[in-house]
Amino acid sequence: MRLPRRGRGGAEEMRFRFSSGACFSAAALAAGAVFLALVMFLPPYVTGPDTLSPPGREHWLGTNDIGQDVLTGLLRAAPTTVGLALIIAASALLIGFLLAAIAAGLRGLAGGLVLRIADVMEIIPSILILLLFAAWVKPDAWGLVLLIALTTWHDDVRPLRAILLRELSRENVALARLMGASWPYLLVRHVAPALWPTLAAIYVQNAVQAVMRVTGLSFLGLVDPRLLTWGGMIQDAVDYLHEPAWVWLLLPPAFCLSAFLFVLLGIGRRLEESAAGVRGQTL
Amino acid sequence: MPAMNPTFAAYLLRGLAARLVVFGLVFVLMSVLPRLLPGDTFDSLMASDLVLGLDAGTEAALRERMGLSGGLWQQVGAETFAALRGELGFSLIHGAPVADILLGALPWTGLLVMLAVPLFLAMGLATGIEAGRAPGSRMDRAITLGMSVLASIPSFVMAVFLLLLFGIVWPVLPSAGAEPVIPAADPLERLVAIARHALLPAIALSTHELVRYFFILRSETILVSRRAFLFNARARGIGGWRERCDYFGRNLMAVVFARLGQSIATLLSAALYVEVIFAYPGIGRLMYQAVLDRDYPLLRGAIAVLAILVLLLNWIFDALTEARARRG
Repeated sequence: MRLPRRGRGGAEEMRFRFSSGACFSAAALAAGAVFLALVMFLPPYVTGPDTLSPPGREHWLGTNDIGQDVLTGLLRAAPTTVGLALIIAASALLIGFLLAAIAAGLRGLAGGLVLRIADVMEIIPSILILLLFAAWVKPDAWGLVLLIALTTWHDDVRPLRAILLRELSRENVALARLMGASWPYLLVRHVAPALWPTLAAIYVQNAVQAVMRVTGLSFLGLVDPRLLTWGGMIQDAVDYLHEPAWVWLLLPPAFCLSAFLFVLLGIGRRLEESAAGVRGQTL
Repeated sequence: MPAMNPTFAAYLLRGLAARLVVFGLVFVLMSVLPRLLPGDTFDSLMASDLVLGLDAGTEAALRERMGLSGGLWQQVGAETFAALRGELGFSLIHGAPVADILLGALPWTGLLVMLAVPLFLAMGLATGIEAGRAPGSRMDRAITLGMSVLASIPSFVMAVFLLLLFGIVWPVLPSAGAEPVIPAADPLERLVAIARHALLPAIALSTHELVRYFFILRSETILVSRRAFLFNARARGIGGWRERCDYFGRNLMAVVFARLGQSIATLLSAALYVEVIFAYPGIGRLMYQAVLDRDYPLLRGAIAVLAILVLLLNWIFDALTEARARRG
């Protein structure tokens, strides 16, 4: 007699999916490391005598108004833009997860307080808070991580709390507890596997938000000017919209930014579907 | 609907207290933060190449006039009470009271938002229903792909592209400002000019929400099309506009309505980018300029007014949604 399967995919299928996901992330990490190593060997992003020269043999994507090579800038901005987004997304998720655990575990004042703070953060447009800070300090990379993580975590608290509560009250957890399993064992063996898909989906959503905010703030020129991102490069191009130079100043960074977002959004939709499949409902 | 009124009023009251607390926190934060940093407005005004040999007495008097004397909490308290009386301070950069500057800018932002809302609602409903009524069809895949591409263009990039395409490459619409420098004398002509100036910024503003609404409305349409009444209607041969408007449209109204309050709040903050790019004289551009000029009274006033607007809209829509949900 066959055992009833849980959800859409059976246990084996889930393990397979997880391991293929692990392979994929390992490959992505390796590719990222190789890319970072290559960026180290790029020619420096310095000013030169050929200003606003169109794409050619010397400068494949042309140069900007102070003679910097656009292709070099594009490649050098990639690790900052992408890396910042991934780090901010992870920080926001960490804050959100810890607070969700507090809200799920402590029912009294502390739990209620976390939810109220999340409500408050939900109401205030975060751009107002970002502007308020940016007016006094132009944040550098770590300032951006702190600032954006602290203004995005609130989106994660409610879904994470809901799924934590559901997983902790499941029969497998109660049974294992009855048989004398310790909490660390329970968290690792029973709760974490059920959480991964949701955590991954929320992480990608955070990353999308973080890219938009980082590039948006750099576009407005409200970050440390030494921080090179695709948003800042688009800002540089805006002054040359009336000249032919926009073709090589605007299109490359805009394309990179949108392509990155397109990939992130695609992964996000996939993850959301698989998370919904594991839990049997949508986020 | 007299039966609905008591619950609606109760929801309104319950939400009010929370929002007052939020606003108080934001306001005090806005007053405290700049004062925690080294150097105040007086120092930054005096930090120039011109050395004014001010004696201690004059300096103290100037600080007193700018509301920078006394301890931290004394200053914050004085400022809060002034704001309660409706005095938002004086902008030294613009040489005008903050309240007047804000009143001049608010209608322009309001105009953009009012134009953007019907735009993204109409487009979102049309595309969402068209894609969701036959999921997996060629039409659905084409629209969904288009929307996915649109979703991956951040709103500021979209605004730059619209400006470039319709303002510079194919200059059919004005690319900056809200009106010509010298407005036309004829009111109708002036109205047309204002509408032409507002069109591109409004479109740029609406694309962000359009994508969000499309994905929500598409999945809601799919849910609706699984229900028995629609199966029945299709079996009776109902299709075309009647199916799209009466059967899907009406059932999606609750979803649209529930998200509208949050959308308008998002639009108000997204207006910042759009107004900066199109040099539109709204409240977003004013705030941006205030950040660049370090015009703290203006920035504080603008953020306070915007926070009030967002909280107000959020409050009313929340109460309406809850009252409706309770009615079933």
